[in-house]
Amino acid sequence: MSCLMEEKQKFRNLFDKTEADSKQPAHPLDEYRQRAIDRAGQLDFPTRRWEEWKYTSVNRLLQPDYEIGQLVDVDPKVVNTFMPEGLDAHLIVFVNGRYSEQLSRAKELPAGMTVMPLQEAMDSDRFGTIAREQLDHIIDGQEHIFTALNMAFSQHSLFLHSDKNVVCEKPIYILHLSANEETPVLNSHMNIAVAETGSQFAYIEGQFEAPGAAGTYFNNIFNRVVVKANAHVHHYCLQQEGENGFLINKVDAEQDRDSTFSNYTVDLGGRLVRNNLDTLHKGSNLTTNYYGIYFGKEKQHIDNHTFIDHAVPHCQSNEMYKGIVTDRATGVFNGKVMVRKDAQKTNAFQQSSSLVLSNKAQMDSKPQLEIFADDVKCSHGATIGQLDETAVFYLRSRGLSDEQARAMLQHAFIAEVLDYFPHDSVRDYAETLINQKFEQ
Amino acid sequence: MLTIKDLKVSIEDKTILNGINLEVKPGEVHAIMGPNGSGKSTLANAIAGREDYEVTSGSIEYKGEDLLEMEVDERALAGIFMAFQYPVEIPGVSTSNFLKSVINANRKARGKDELNAMEMLKFIRERINLVGMDEKFLRRSLNEGFSGGEKKRSEMLQMALLEPALAILDETDSGLDIDALRIVSGAVNKLRTEERSFVIVTHYQRLLDYIKPDYVHVLFDGRKTEVPQPLR
Ligand SMILES: Nc1ncnc2c1ncn2[C@@H]1O[C@H](COP(=O)(O)OP(=O)(O)OP(=O)(O)O)[C@@H](O)[C@H]1O
Ligand SMILES: [Mg+2]
Repeated sequence: MSCLMEEKQKFRNLFDKTEADSKQPAHPLDEYRQRAIDRAGQLDFPTRRWEEWKYTSVNRLLQPDYEIGQLVDVDPKVVNTFMPEGLDAHLIVFVNGRYSEQLSRAKELPAGMTVMPLQEAMDSDRFGTIAREQLDHIIDGQEHIFTALNMAFSQHSLFLHSDKNVVCEKPIYILHLSANEETPVLNSHMNIAVAETGSQFAYIEGQFEAPGAAGTYFNNIFNRVVVKANAHVHHYCLQQEGENGFLINKVDAEQDRDSTFSNYTVDLGGRLVRNNLDTLHKGSNLTTNYYGIYFGKEKQHIDNHTFIDHAVPHCQSNEMYKGIVTDRATGVFNGKVMVRKDAQKTNAFQQSSSLVLSNKAQMDSKPQLEIFADDVKCSHGATIGQLDETAVFYLRSRGLSDEQARAMLQHAFIAEVLDYFPHDSVRDYAETLINQKFEQ
Repeated sequence: MLTIKDLKVSIEDKTILNGINLEVKPGEVHAIMGPNGSGKSTLANAIAGREDYEVTSGSIEYKGEDLLEMEVDERALAGIFMAFQYPVEIPGVSTSNFLKSVINANRKARGKDELNAMEMLKFIRERINLVGMDEKFLRRSLNEGFSGGEKKRSEMLQMALLEPALAILDETDSGLDIDALRIVSGAVNKLRTEERSFVIVTHYQRLLDYIKPDYVHVLFDGRKTEVPQPLR
């Protein structure tokens, strides 16, 4: 039995049409894209009967008849509004999933730090093998239909690579702008990021809607992150989708020994946002950090599904998610931590707290600890609460208005997570975005 | 300044204050004493405007206006300050950010310019010495993990910074050692002016040795049992 067959067929038709219309010269990536659309054909769209999709229905996301997003003109000044102040970054801009040379601002990166189109990486002698290895990894036995579709439809994928022992101080900022006005569009983007032994870099993904655009769109984003021994990768996801924006975002990370992978996610809504953040541990003494903030208003739906797979001993994971839902918004947090039999001396810490500020807002929070080793330290806490009214009274009794008092307390609630963001300019920018949302 | 007439207050249908009368003139200091549970904090909170305290009858007039018609923050901006018996801990809000916000909110309400960062720091430093607080508290979350005495000093610092017309101190002296008590009462005495009035709730005569009140009232079972006695 397979559900949503028609919807699947629509994507297939869109793929065939795109291929037929394509004026691009043939490229070895096409073969992967073909494999991906075939794989998608074998998979089903999730329904709420699936345990992993119990709280999130993709029906509304699948309804529109999508076209492939096209590069449209965006005022370069718009880009400035999405630039964290003081952030000296190598900026790459995509509009509706298409690379915009005009809006991008390349900065000199240290020798050994590479950011290039995936096709180019596949063609090169240096990166050809690595790129293909990762593409094979992604598509072989892929179970996630959205990931298969992502590969099938990604037009301008990126390849990020740091050579052994290269430390790149300058962050790489990948800005996705959705600038769609009419026909619903599908924007797909894939990053393959590989940090070789002893190297280090940070990259930021920004997902925003350009001002004035209000059309329906579906952003399907996928990241493959490989952090080799003693390497360190920081990955930020700043998301503020439009009123008619759908986002499916998946991060598939793996780490080797002594490495660190840190993800910082700030979700400020969209019609539907679903993040899947998965990390597999392949070597001991490594650290995984997940820091997440979300703030849903109106009818926004924000779903964070995280997974940390402790498969080897002596690893550490820290996870802290905090969020606010108000109006009729819904939030979902599902944090799965697997500690396999061999993963002795694991240290896994998870905390999820949320504020539910209206009686029509909803929060579903589910910690999921599966522990098969006996000598481990795992803790988790989940709280769902309201603002402390005595604190509101206290602040008002000093002259702050009801709104100011509530905003201050909400901000304080979230700020704890912001303190973990290591790049000051990004943290300040995230804070600004959050404050803007309080004031809306 | 403040005229309370036949005030009745109930919480969850239970009558707590049963007909209170109180007249506070500019520059006066009134002490309110009384056993536990007699309604002292209820009176203080009713003046400050706490919503879960329902005023079932009577009136409160402040500077000629009907106080009961005013919101909590309007009362604060009009110059009423209550030092809490149990100051609320607010994790995540730094004391300095909080002070900046409330100082500027109050200045704005009084038609004064907001202070810039430098002026603010200078102003806060000046007053923090007055209450014998360490500057390191400014970086900490408001009242979070403060000891009892530290919380009371933090309340006094806020009072010193906001320069209210009417300050209500709800057991600010409780739990203070003698040095802290001297500092706190010293701060109150420094802030005493011809215009500024104080209502001081206390259990201890000791405080009244340092702050000489004009009147002492005793609350008992939601009523004032003694007629105010002029002491000076
Ligand atoms: N939120 C509340 N809900 C129910 N009853 C309350 C509440 N607050 C106060 N009371 C009751 O009202 C009465 C008066 O309390 P209040 O705090 O005003 O007394 P108090 O004179 O300040 O006492 P203390 O000296 O212990 O501070 C008490 O019986 C108390 O239990
Ligand atoms: Mg009391």
